[in-house]
Amino acid sequence: MKKMLLYLLACTILLAAVIPPFVGYQKQKSFAEQLGVVPRGEVLRYVAADQKEFLAASVVLKVLIYFGGRSQALPNQVQLPVDYPGISRILHSAVKLDPRNMDAHYFAQAILVWDVKQIDVANGLLEYGMRYRDWDFYLPFFVGFNSGYFLKDYEKAARMYRRAAELSGNPLFIQLAGRYLYEAGRTEHAIVYLTAMEKSTRNESVKKNLRTRLEALVAVRAIENARDLFASRFGRQPHSIGELVQRGMLSSIPHDPYGGTFYLDEDGSVRSTSKLAFGHLNQPSTEVTQ
Amino acid sequence: MKNILRITILGIMRDRVFHGITVAALVFGLVPVISQLSMRQVTELALTLSLSLTSFLLLLLSVFLGGVSLWKDIDRRYAYSILGLPLRRSDYVLGKYLGIVSFILLTATVLGIVGALFSYSAIGVYPPNRPVLWENYVYAIFFDVLKYALLVSFAFLFSTISTSFFLPMFGAVCIFFVGSSSQEAYNYVNSPEAAALHPAAKSAITALYYVLPNFGAFDFKTNAIYSIPMDYQGLMLTFVYFCCYVSIVLGLAVILFNRRQL
Amino acid sequence: MSHPLELSSVSKQYVSRKHRVDAVREVSFAVAAGEIFGFLGPNGAGKSTTIKIIMNLIRADRGTATIFGTPSTKAETRRHVGFLPENPALYDYMTGAEYLRFVGNVHGMPKQRIRQRSDELLMLLDLLPAAKRAIRSYSKGMLQKLGLAQAIIHDPPVLILDEPMSGLDPLSRVLVKELIVNEKKNGKTVFFSTHIISDVERVCDRVGIIRNGILKAVKEVAPLLREGIEAYRVRFAEHESSAEQEIMVSPDDLTTQMVAITSTGGTIRLLEPVRKNLEDFFLHIIRED
Repeated sequence: MKKMLLYLLACTILLAAVIPPFVGYQKQKSFAEQLGVVPRGEVLRYVAADQKEFLAASVVLKVLIYFGGRSQALPNQVQLPVDYPGISRILHSAVKLDPRNMDAHYFAQAILVWDVKQIDVANGLLEYGMRYRDWDFYLPFFVGFNSGYFLKDYEKAARMYRRAAELSGNPLFIQLAGRYLYEAGRTEHAIVYLTAMEKSTRNESVKKNLRTRLEALVAVRAIENARDLFASRFGRQPHSIGELVQRGMLSSIPHDPYGGTFYLDEDGSVRSTSKLAFGHLNQPSTEVTQ
Repeated sequence: MKNILRITILGIMRDRVFHGITVAALVFGLVPVISQLSMRQVTELALTLSLSLTSFLLLLLSVFLGGVSLWKDIDRRYAYSILGLPLRRSDYVLGKYLGIVSFILLTATVLGIVGALFSYSAIGVYPPNRPVLWENYVYAIFFDVLKYALLVSFAFLFSTISTSFFLPMFGAVCIFFVGSSSQEAYNYVNSPEAAALHPAAKSAITALYYVLPNFGAFDFKTNAIYSIPMDYQGLMLTFVYFCCYVSIVLGLAVILFNRRQL
Repeated sequence: MSHPLELSSVSKQYVSRKHRVDAVREVSFAVAAGEIFGFLGPNGAGKSTTIKIIMNLIRADRGTATIFGTPSTKAETRRHVGFLPENPALYDYMTGAEYLRFVGNVHGMPKQRIRQRSDELLMLLDLLPAAKRAIRSYSKGMLQKLGLAQAIIHDPPVLILDEPMSGLDPLSRVLVKELIVNEKKNGKTVFFSTHIISDVERVCDRVGIIRNGILKAVKEVAPLLREGIEAYRVRFAEHESSAEQEIMVSPDDLTTQMVAITSTGGTIRLLEPVRKNLEDFFLHIIRED
């Protein structure tokens, strides 16, 4: 009996000694390792038997937890880069498994279109989902926004917004269909869209991500408004944002929540050294906008 | 047959299978917790988890009970005593089968109610996009039971020709996975993407599709999860399909068992 | 009138990949109503195969087994039969009483009758204390006795018992033998297999001897026993006080010897037949070839 207890105690101590390095090892695994490789949805369908919805939901949850872990990092922690292509692949699988899984669609739209810019891929998935979630106005809403804002396919955007309006009865989409579908209304368009998106999620990480972008776009809109005011008053484009402040069009240079500095490029568009994304500041000569 | 049915259920109960299920069902407690993680579909996720867990537990039950039941009777020679009684072998096989299916039905009912209660607690806090159709939930579970009843009949068929439990158990698992994706395979073969496939492979898959049970057809989870209205004619057809298929498999099992030398 | 049990030219061959084994070859016999028929043979002689064929657990390749004239492949013939398998395995999750109730139900007996018979048999076989325990906890002997109880609960006219005495303690052996003899007294027919010669000696009316799947002989037991007596052992005392003496007397001289002893005032203390062992007879048959 005594021997047995001693034996158990020894094993427990050994385990306790192994746990810290083990956990550390698990933590430093890359995302691809953490999640394992999720096979393509088309393949998964064959082995998922009657657990397709569950599998889809569980890989989406894995992505959410991973994303939450990466974006909720405390200020004094190193912000690890997010493996967006990895997330994109997994969400793609999830949608193929369960085309009605709204979390997958929502997450893809909220995060991936901005950060990965695979607009055509996103729209493809959304339109695939629309065939199944035929009662949900969010999907045409997303496709409408992507088409209008990113792809500048205003005709398609209008069509999708009208469909969203039909499904929801919400006049917001009629507004979107008409008012912002032109080049000058681009920022406003995104602000309206992001406001709606931000309101409709419960996930704090995603909310935070959207809020940051919204904040940035509100700043961009303020600069754009000032720039237009300047142009109408002086009959020329301003040289810099500093000039706008100097002339009293802006009270101060707005703060970029991504940590970059706003500037005006040659054709007068508002840009930021952050490219309106985290993690670009350390790279030299990255001067492209959102 | 009634007597065999009764003692089969008694046997399952006495083997504490239900205790095992109850312990496994504790996982249902996680359903409300996990479904909170969803961004946009808390209720849908809760229903998904409940139905998936129910289905998974029923799968385990069907494979174990279906695969072991007949085999154990033969292996431990219980069958000698039982078949020495004025019972036809068909009554014996069908009695055992119905006993297992009744137990699966009972388990499904209990798990269904537990799952519904936990899902309901999630709905209270985060109302779903569309009101939940509980009728669909019942259909989803009921057709799950039919699906596993069909699976058990296959396990029985394998038991009648096998002297070990490997064939019934693994045979049932294999036929479950193959049968669950036969519709997918068939759809693929008939899609333009499959143009490159060899015609022989195509016809083989098509033939298998008609021969193998289509377990995918019994999956009405999406209707329950996303409140999609039921196609009642489809339900009826699926039910008739089940009746025909299970009759054939059980018929074969009885014929083979009648010829079996013990 | 058909026999309670009759086999005609029953043959069974087991075929495996390498061998063909003739388990039973052309076995024919009939058991008459009200007799106890012992089926004797060494292990592997074909006793179990024959019984399995009678009980339709396996099928004969050729020949038929009938119960009261009906082929035993029909389930309803087993209404008239009580069957005890060799080392019976009974659903061990049930209690003894539950098992008897189940068997009674299968036989379609009324509830009241099942309870009555079950109590009666449990009492008779000394199983009453274990009646409410799971069969799982039974000893080998208890299992054997419960197996016997389930075989006779419906009071069948024919009993088929495969090695009914195996695994029993001496007391239970006596109990079971008495039970078998009792069944005969009640007009039942009993067919049982055994590899123990003394079992046959004590209870059987006739014995069939099987070896290598061939039925070697079917004999009446009583004449065998009678014919087998070679001498009598007589123990007597010449006077009240004198020491006992023992002499062997041939059957022919028995009467004269008895008279001789008693007429001189002696007392006979013991008289015992000395047989050529039945065993010798069986061994003789079995070693024939």
